[in-house]
Parts: sequence; structure tokens; C-alpha cells
Amino acid sequence: MTTATRSRGNKILVLATESCAYPGADSVGQAHSSYPANVYILRVKAPVLFPDRFYIDCFDKGIAGIVVMSCGEECPYDGAYHALAKRLDRVYQEMKARDIDIRRLRLTAICTVCNRAFLNEVNQMNAVVGELNN
Amino acid sequence: MTQDNPKPETLAAKIGVYICHCGGNISDHVDVETVRRRVEKMPGVAVARTNMFMCSDPGQEMIAEDLKSGTVDRVVVASCAPSLHEKTFRSAIQRAGANPFIYEHANIREQVSCVHHGQAATDKATVLVAAAAAKAGQLKPLTPIRVPALRHATVIGAGAAGLSAARDLADSGIPVTLIEKSSFLGGQLARLDRIAPTGDLAADLVRQLVESVLNHRDITVLTDAEVVGFEGYIGNFKLTVRRGQPAVEPATEPRYIPFSGMQPAGTGADKPGDLTVETGAIVLATGFRSYRPRQGEYGFGDFSPVITLPDLIRKMAERHVPGNMLTIDGRQVRAVAMIHCVGSRQIPGIHPEDENGHLNEYCSRVCCTATLNAADRIRQAYPGTRVYELYRDIRTYGRDQEELYEQAGRNGVVFLRFEAENAPEVLPADPGDGFALKVKVTDTLTFGETLEVPADLVVLATGMEPNDVSDLVEMMKLPVGTDRFLLEVHPKLRPVEMPVAGIFVAGTCQAPFDVGEACNAAGAAAVKAAALLGAGQVELDPFVAEVDVDRCRGTGACIEACLNPGALSLVEMQIDGQTVQRARVTPALCLGCGACVAVCPENAIDVCGMTLRQYEAMVDAIVEN
Amino acid sequence: MDDHNDRNFDALVIGGGIAGLQSALDLADQGFTVAVIERDASVGGKMIRLSKVFPTLDCASCITTPKMAAAAHHDRITLLTYCDLISLQRENGGFRAEVIQRPRYVDARKCIGCRQCEYACPVLVPDREQGGFSPTKAIAIPFSNAIPQIAVLDPNHCMLCGRCERVCPTGAVDYFQQPQPFTVTARTAVVTTGFEMTTLADKPQYGRGKIPNLIDALQMERLLAPHGPYNRVLRPSDGKAPDSIAYIQCAGSRDKSMGQSYCSRVCCMYAIKQAMLLSGSLPLADITIYYMDIRAFGKGYEQFFQNAQAMGINFVKAKVAAVEPGPDGAVVLRYEAQDGEGVTTAEHDLVVLSLGLIPAWNPAGVCPLATASDRFIQSRRPKLAPVETAMEGLFAAGAAIGPKDIVDTIAEAGNAAMAAGKYLAALSRQGQETVAAQ
Repeated sequence: MTTATRSRGNKILVLATESCAYPGADSVGQAHSSYPANVYILRVKAPVLFPDRFYIDCFDKGIAGIVVMSCGEECPYDGAYHALAKRLDRVYQEMKARDIDIRRLRLTAICTVCNRAFLNEVNQMNAVVGELNN
Repeated sequence: MTQDNPKPETLAAKIGVYICHCGGNISDHVDVETVRRRVEKMPGVAVARTNMFMCSDPGQEMIAEDLKSGTVDRVVVASCAPSLHEKTFRSAIQRAGANPFIYEHANIREQVSCVHHGQAATDKATVLVAAAAAKAGQLKPLTPIRVPALRHATVIGAGAAGLSAARDLADSGIPVTLIEKSSFLGGQLARLDRIAPTGDLAADLVRQLVESVLNHRDITVLTDAEVVGFEGYIGNFKLTVRRGQPAVEPATEPRYIPFSGMQPAGTGADKPGDLTVETGAIVLATGFRSYRPRQGEYGFGDFSPVITLPDLIRKMAERHVPGNMLTIDGRQVRAVAMIHCVGSRQIPGIHPEDENGHLNEYCSRVCCTATLNAADRIRQAYPGTRVYELYRDIRTYGRDQEELYEQAGRNGVVFLRFEAENAPEVLPADPGDGFALKVKVTDTLTFGETLEVPADLVVLATGMEPNDVSDLVEMMKLPVGTDRFLLEVHPKLRPVEMPVAGIFVAGTCQAPFDVGEACNAAGAAAVKAAALLGAGQVELDPFVAEVDVDRCRGTGACIEACLNPGALSLVEMQIDGQTVQRARVTPALCLGCGACVAVCPENAIDVCGMTLRQYEAMVDAIVEN
Repeated sequence: MDDHNDRNFDALVIGGGIAGLQSALDLADQGFTVAVIERDASVGGKMIRLSKVFPTLDCASCITTPKMAAAAHHDRITLLTYCDLISLQRENGGFRAEVIQRPRYVDARKCIGCRQCEYACPVLVPDREQGGFSPTKAIAIPFSNAIPQIAVLDPNHCMLCGRCERVCPTGAVDYFQQPQPFTVTARTAVVTTGFEMTTLADKPQYGRGKIPNLIDALQMERLLAPHGPYNRVLRPSDGKAPDSIAYIQCAGSRDKSMGQSYCSRVCCMYAIKQAMLLSGSLPLADITIYYMDIRAFGKGYEQFFQNAQAMGINFVKAKVAAVEPGPDGAVVLRYEAQDGEGVTTAEHDLVVLSLGLIPAWNPAGVCPLATASDRFIQSRRPKLAPVETAMEGLFAAGAAIGPKDIVDTIAEAGNAAMAAGKYLAALSRQGQETVAAQ
């Protein structure tokens, strides 16, 4: 990266699993619920793909918050959730070391019909981002 | 991050961006033209176009023409959720002679126009399209993985749907293994008597189905058998089936007499133990059970003359006592009250949840007609027995069902209509009037009058609940709806498919159905399985791990992280005259989860079509736009 | 679809609506060749004309167009649109269909769907595809997502001014095109001829269609559709946005005096769906549904009904006896209230009749196929094989064998394809056995 750490906007990244959280987000859309427009959802097979540095890089690039929406214990890939949780623990340590508020990263499980839980998660992260940016 | 590889391609990708109005679903909230103008100027974007319906033929044709003329070689469509049309556009690209995997989807309906409005919606749509274009610029053509598919299907559950699906598949030339948990074939259908509105005898229907299955040379029937192990993938599943002792009917359920021919000759009793079934496709037909009323629900369990509709049907079928009046359990019934919607159409705040917090909010579909059928038959056979039906809505939706409703009325069935929040009460009768019970109901058909109906028998029209298949749900990773029935991918686009490719769903494990509807569902599932297995091979998505042998140092970290044993292994190979170990992927076994990607110290492994670098490019686009 | 030489297929599908498309796709995916005969100028049937569909509120186009496109592009499927079936008979162990290609007055092989003719045509005609609310031209592509995209000229309105012919870049306009008969043979057939709505003209209690602002549900579908005639819901008589809208259920169903004693099965759900869409586009409007029984029996339907109640849609249990025109374009309903008020009247700005379904095709004189007293095609074994008819090798699915919603239609169409596929497999086995025996 040639650029130094950019000023942080309010953009929130959601890593949503294609078998649970991503269709869950679509279901929120089908219900015509509303949530903050600074939430950007990336469809992933399993968030276990992302190494520690991916998260740190995102924050360095200027992402304000990341919500990892996995399938939780229902994960279609046996063992992936456990590996992911362990990784995020390390990311939290790294965030502390770099003085990034750890509330900017959240791991959660969202199912295909968890409309309310989805809205809660993105609204909460938006509130955290709003508070930290002030 | 350190970036030590050179720029991947000197030939830059030519990205075509196609933005859908969705007839207003998108364009009412997103200024599609503004998005188009902004996107047009983005790096790598060769053209940006819009259309009223990108999924329509003219929309698809627009993409095809740009590909054929060489104007574009990467495609981004911004439209609805990818679950709806990603496939549509990939096939359009393929038809145009291009590789279908040079495609990326931007979801600007469900994730933009449905949830955001005005300028914010237009801006977010722009960002999502920019991110998709950033990824598209890095997409490579991929080749689908072709694996041979076993010409064999497995049907789980031998009720009407399972028997029907097994026979359909075998008739189209595909060998079938039919697995049934109990000792009998016929499922819940075998418990019924005459079925409305056709008057078919359930035993005849079961016999026809069972005979066609047992006499079929291509169907192997395993009773007293349970699936205890599941592995593999579409075309190549491996099931472990445990055969046990013949199941004993639980004492609480009404006994039913197995019809002749329902129990196959070689039952599980002679060879208990585990066996392996290798199969290309699986049809789930695990069926339903009848709702069991709570203790005290409409007096159930408190008063012995309160029984369920399935109880009544069995009692009437097993013991026909001729006379002017219906006789049940040795007692003459002068009046029967039948209460609809027991365990169905439950409303939060009105009906209590069960011990697990569940409410059956759905309609069970068949109970109205079944209840009317029973009521009408009582009135015809036992004119001395009065019949009251207490209902919320009469749902005789099917062919000839409305006529049954009219006929029941003509035959003297008395209808009383209640509101859910004002449900009937079943009470002991007043002393001296000779009846066993009375039912108090506020009848909206007589302008809300409260009536007391004397009754010697109260019949509860209990609904359907899916059988407990939590073991299969867990093993096969099946989605379950809030109603606890198995949840199809999409009720109209892919109504009999589970998200795990090669697994189909048929009958009442999906939703309440009557027999004809269950047979339709079975045929719909069977035809998909037949089409799949008929070709002898299946195509799998190429989204699997790929090793960059130049970078791999053979550390084995990926193999340790791999979640599907066998998908990754270290193999020896010669590089520059030296024998070294390098990782190798077995594509048919790779789940594409990417667990290996995160742990490789050399960045030498990635998942095709969704590489780490592509995700990084998308994040960059999100930050910058 | 351009060449009408007599042709032979494995299977013939009569009707290119959602049932026919699904059957054709499921047959073709099994490896059989299929011809679909469609009366209309486009495949897609009733479903492509709907706005959104219950209970998911997906847009109907988004579900139908991919199936239309998949059928159009399938190697083994041939779509024969704008064709009339004259005769369908068993012959030589299979079926022989006599078909007439109606003239489009546009050469299907030359037309490229550019719409230049439509833009140039000076004649405005009420657009049947938009419920008659907005105009189209006397020569036009039937509707935006029609398949095939071939213009059709309406000879009843064309003035033969010649503009379309002059502007057509491929010389496709042909004022002298004649009906073209041809023959199709196949070994099996699937009838998926669907439904029509009952007509208002024969219903004196509803003013025989002469009451302003009394419309039918398919017209409301167009008002609600994303690419509908006004892009919003307006009252047809004066273009006013209605404040009070009512639905009359069972208008032509469950009532022998109206001709149909049966339940049409979909009207409760489509009325609830439209009411929900209306409350989205007209948030302040009062919406009332007058019903006899709400029949929300399918998967997710009851929850859909409960949601509608929670949204504030009024459900009034009453059979509306008569409808009359009121002051200022209002519509007056007369019904017996259940709350003890006796005969009551109510006034609404716009009233929608939830008309019932009748069969779209009568086989009499075309095909020796039995219909039941409800005039839908008779199912031989409704419980075990609903798709079997009394004719050997002939199967049926969807609303052709009784009113049915889309979900049930798609399942039945799949089963019909299974049944037809099995029948073809059995024929092949017999054929092989006969050869072996010789």
C-alpha cells in the first residue's frame, strides 16, 4: 500500500456467508426493512478464507467497521467456525496493539431468515462507528 | 501488504456493466442513468448500459452482442439478488460463446433499492457496481469440474411421496434404494380410510403404490432402516444405513392394521447392522406427523370423549357398528362437535407456544376437507347423530371440495364460526342433561351469540407437523423454515431443491399436502433427479482451491487447515532437478471454503473465482467510491 | 419457429404458460425433444402479466422470464407461438396435431425486434396487455419482455398507411401474409392450457362491466405492475388516486348462480397480495376485503394473511349481493353484515372484483378428451396420478385440470413431465423388446 492510513469514513463492511447471512440480507430487502446505506455486503463462501492481515488492511484502508456474518454452528464447513473464531481472537489482539477500537470488528451468526438479528447487528455497528468517529 | 508480483496482465480487461431497471423495482429508488454515467468512467469499464429487464431476452441479447463483437470480455450485471439470476446471466454468456465465469453480479435490488432510497441508494448502487467491476477485472475463465454421476438414486421415507418418487425414478430407468425407518410402507396414508373428495380407499392407494415398488426390479426396499452417515457430493453420495429391529408402534398412537403387502418380505430383522449405499441423488420424503394436542387443549386428556380426527378416522374404519347413531368406544354418540384448526393457524399472543417455543402459524391445508368428509359420512351413515363443525374459515380449495362442503350442509351438518381470540371451550355437561360434554362457542355467523353445544364426542381436527429429521438436517446441512418444514431454495424457481446440490425434497416434509399434491411433489422431485442422473455426469462449480506451484514451499499448513480430508495432499515432484513436496488439490472433494487460503505463509493457494486479491480489490473500490 | 415443415418430436406441450414452460424444460432436460404450441404471440401465459406473486412478493417477470428464456434457448425445445390447435388425435401409437400459424403480418424470420414499426405506426389501440388502460400501436412487440420479440400487426385497426413497411430495416412487414397450416407429430402430449378469468359481462349483480371504477383483479395487476400503464395506481374514470379501495371475493366462484360452484383457489391470496402492494403505493388508503372464507392454505400463505391484517387491511366477512354506481365515480356495495347490522351499504372510490377462474380451452371438436362438470379437464386418478387423463399418452397440468396457484402449478408441471418421460421410456422399452423378439 502506497497510501498511508486514510482518514476513516463511516463505511461498514459485512462479510456474509453465501449459504446463510447473504440470503439473510436479501430477505431483509424482500421485507423492505431499512438499514444504514453505509453498509456494504460482500458475499463469501466462508469467512475462514480471510487471513488476519485482511482485517487490519481493511481498517488501514479506511473501513470503519467490519461485521463477520457467519453461519455460526450451522456452518456447512465443519470446523470452519472454530478456526474463524480463533483467528478473530488474534485479530482483536492486533487491533489493540494498533490502537484500533475492537468494537469495530464483530463476529456473529446470521441465518437466512434472521431479519431482526441482521438489522440489530448493522444498526449496532453503525452506532459504534458513529460514536467512535465523533 | 507486500506486493511482490508484477502486474498480472498487460492486456487490460474490457468490462461491460449492465444495469437493470427491474421495471421500476430498482429504478424507482436508484437513478440508474446516473449510476451508468459514473460507472462508464471507471477504470477497465468498456461499456455501461441499462435495460428495463436485464433478465429478459433483449437484456441478455445485449450482453451477448457486446461479447461477440469483442467490445467486452468481462461482464457485470447489476440487478436483483444473485440467487435469482446469477445462473441466468452465466448461461447467457456461455451461449454467446464466452466463458461463464468472467461474470460478477452486483446486488442492487435486495441490498439497495429495497432498503435504501434517494441519493443514498444511487450512491450505494454505484459503489457496489464499482466493487463488482473491480473484481471482474481480475476474473479468469474457469472450467467446470465434471465428475461421473452414479446412475442410482436414494429415496428416504416410504409414504405416498417416497413410494411415488421411487417408482417414478425406477420407471425412468434409474435404480433406486428406498429407505424407511419403520417396518411398514405407506406412511401416514396407511392410517386413513376413505379419502375426500374422490372417495378412494386409502388401503387401495397404498396397495397400488406398494405393489408397484415391491415388484419393481430396480427398487431395493430397506425397512427398519435409518440413515446414520452421509458424505460425498452430487452424483457421488455415500450413505451409511443402519438396519435395526422392526420398530414397535408407540403405545400412545392408535394401532393400525398393516395392509397385506405393506411389509416387504425381507424385513430388517433378518440382517441388522450397517450397510453403505452409494448413490447419485437423494430425495427426502420424510413426511409428517399429526399434531398432538397439549394436555387440556380443548379438554384433550382431561375428558376421554375428546379425541383427534385421526383417532376418529381409525375408530370408524376399524369398528363399524351399524345403527341409527355413531358408536365410539362402545358409547353411543348423540352429538359430535368437531373443532377445526387445532395445532394450526396459531397466532402469537393468542395461542401458547410449545415447550420449545414453537407456534404452528401455518394452515395444515387438508384438515378442513378431511373433517367435512368425516362429518358428512357420519350424517349419512348415522342420521341420529347430530354434527357440529366449529371453524375459523372453511378451506375447501381443491377440485370437488367445495361441493363436499355444500353436501355436508345439505346433509345437516351445523356450522358455527369462531374467531381465534374467542376460541370454543370444552366443558363438562350440565348435570342431568345426559350428554358427556358441552362446547361453549361465540358464533359469528349468528352475530356473535354465545351458544352451548351438547356433545358426546369432541373431535379435534389436528394439523400436520413435519417429522423430526434433525439428524438428517444436521448431517446434510439442510435448511429448515420457521415453520420447521424443510425449506426449498425458492418456492417457484427451484421448488424441490435443497441448497446442497443433488438433494431434493418431496411431499409433506416440505409443507402440508394432500395425497395428490404429495404425488405431484414427488414427480417434480423425481424428474429433477432423473434429468440430473440421466446424463451420467454432473458439472460442479469450479470454485475450488488452486495451488500456485511456483510459490508453494510445501509447508503443509494448508493441509492442516483443510476441512475436508482428502481435498488437499502433499505430493512429490521434480522442480529444477530437485525432488520437492508441493500441495495438490483434489477438485471434486474441495469445498472451496478457503480455510487453506488464510494460513498459507506464501500466498500460494487461493479459491478460483473468489480469490483473496479479488476481495481486496473490492474493498479498495468500496473505500474509494 | 420460422420453418413450418411438418415435424416430429418426442413430446408436444399444448400451452406455453408457466405450466407448459416447466413441463417442456423438465422433458427437454431428460433428453427428449419438445414442441410447445402457444396461442398467444408470446410464451409466458398469465404469469408474465402479473405484477408480483404471493407469498414471497417476488416480481412475476423475474421468475417467469428466466424460464421463458431457458425454453427459448434450449436445444431440444421448439416454441410455436401465435398458433391455433385445430385437431389433436391419437395416430400410429402417438399424436398428430393439426396447427395453424396465424398471420402476424410480419415475417418472423426477418423481424429483429427493433420496434421501428411500432414507433412509426400512427394508430393508437387500447393495450390489452395493460388491461386496456393505456394505448399501444396497431403494430407492436406484444410487451417488453415477450418471447419471441417479433412484432404483430393488428389487422382490425391497421389503416394500411404503409409507414411500418417503409421504416422496417429488414423488410419484414408483409400485409399479405396468410394463415399457414402445418402438422406436428409426437409420441406423447402434455396439455397445459391454463385459465381465463370469468367475464363481467354476464354478471347483472355487478353491472355487467358497465360501472365506472369497478375493475377486475387482472386489471389491478397491471395498475400495480412495475411497468404498468400509469406507473402508479389511479382510478380509471378520472385519474384520481383512490382513498378507499375494496375487494369483492368469490365474485364468480362458489356460487352456482354465477356459473361456478367451485372455489377458484387463488383469489383470496391474490387479493391479499394486491391489498399489501396497494398499501405500499397508497399508504393512506383504506383497503377492505369482503370475503366468505379466507383460504390461505399454501406454504407461508397463512402468515402472509396474518401480516396483511397486521398492516391494517380490513377483512369483512360478508357476501356482497349487489354493486351500483355511486356519486362522483364512487362504487356502492350492498351486503349483509355479520355484526348484526343487517343489510348494509358501503361506498368506495375503487372496487376490484376477485373474479374466478374458468378453463381457457375446451377440447370439444379438437381432441376426444373428457372434461368434468366444472369444464376443466378430467383427471383420471386425482390422488395417485393427478396428471393422467383418460387418453393414453396424454397428460395435463396446471389450471387446465382445475384452478391452481403458481407453486402448485409448477409442481404439477414437473410431475406431468415425469409421467410423460416415463411413458416415453416405456415406449422405447417396448420398442426394443419388439425388435429383440423379431
